[in-house]
Amino acid sequence: MSGEDHEPMEREDEMGRGGDVRLVVPAAPEYLRLVRLTAAGLASRLGFTFDEVEDLRIAVDELCFHLLGDVDENGDGQVGEARTMDLTYSAAADSITITGRTGASGAVPEPSELSEQILDALVDEHEVGSDGGMVMFRLKKQRES
Amino acid sequence: MAFEATDRHELRSKLEEYARTGDKVLRDEIVGSQVGLAEYLARRFKNRGEPIEDLIQVALLGLLKAVERFDPSRGLEFSTFATPTIVGELKRHFRDKGWAVRVPRRVQELHLRMGSVVNNLSQELGRSPTIPEIAARAEVSIDEVLEAMEAGRAYRFSSIDAPANDDEDRAASPAAAQLGEDDDGLEEVEQRMLLSPLIASLPKREQMIIHLRFFRGMTQSEIAARLGISQMHVSRLLARSLVQLRDRAGAEAAPG
Repeated sequence: MSGEDHEPMEREDEMGRGGDVRLVVPAAPEYLRLVRLTAAGLASRLGFTFDEVEDLRIAVDELCFHLLGDVDENGDGQVGEARTMDLTYSAAADSITITGRTGASGAVPEPSELSEQILDALVDEHEVGSDGGMVMFRLKKQRES
Repeated sequence: MAFEATDRHELRSKLEEYARTGDKVLRDEIVGSQVGLAEYLARRFKNRGEPIEDLIQVALLGLLKAVERFDPSRGLEFSTFATPTIVGELKRHFRDKGWAVRVPRRVQELHLRMGSVVNNLSQELGRSPTIPEIAARAEVSIDEVLEAMEAGRAYRFSSIDAPANDDEDRAASPAAAQLGEDDDGLEEVEQRMLLSPLIASLPKREQMIIHLRFFRGMTQSEIAARLGISQMHVSRLLARSLVQLRDRAGAEAAPG
């Protein structure tokens, strides 16, 4: 994704100009806060509204849960202590794409109908799948205005 | 609280009838007539880091309990009996719940303040405000706004794997539904929700919010306006409901 130069905002240097941010965290619920904050931070830089940022945060939560859930089921009560979630946030001029994967290989979780419905309402594109044996998800949210 | 003599008399005869019949419709009617007392007591606990909407919910639960436990034959005024019950419920709320994750006080305060900032800006702009707009209005940094949004989740549920304790809300929901947050849409919601027993397990208002957001595609700010609560409150309820849904879905998939 090419990093278009949107209007400069604070911390442009820190975020980098390439438009991609990567975050690798333990695949545990406590780290979802960081995952959401990063998403919200990027989205706010792209001029997303409060409503849109909220939707994005909920969607990220919903999708990350699939990663955590998968890790948890294969584990022994320890929620993926040694495993990680690897997230890539790609910012375009008016949209953000987030992909996440875990190091856990195994069955691709099947999102419930309700989960699908929820995500349909929140983001423009979403999928849960497998990438080289790893569970992954991808979502894209477009800025409205 | 001072009641007119006729009101007091009417209240007493209703309470006596309820004690005799246990009629739930009557109970809710009594609760509805005493909302003022619950709100008054809830307000005494504001500025302690909990949103007033939530405190009112807790106070209403206390009121409901007071109505259920009141024994008219003991000759007490209802308000004399109900006040300590409601206050007790509010105190218990602060003891048991509070902020599950330690959130710095200034972030808590900003979170609470943002409710009205977001509402005001939405009205002025005719759309949902951007984060920089919220930051400018609240005179804080963008990062602080993001922290404050996040704080809405830290509060009242700890983590995704902690079982959500929602008995309180569920118990409170009949009263809540009775008290002006009801809506024509509810019946329709109930019918549609037959599709999902999971959703039906949530309190009525949360069902409503889930329905409006995900099935009708209304935005959080539209829902807030429709239900007459702040958008921050909608946001918190949504986040909490989704965690509960996941917990329950998980519990169903893997019993024990």
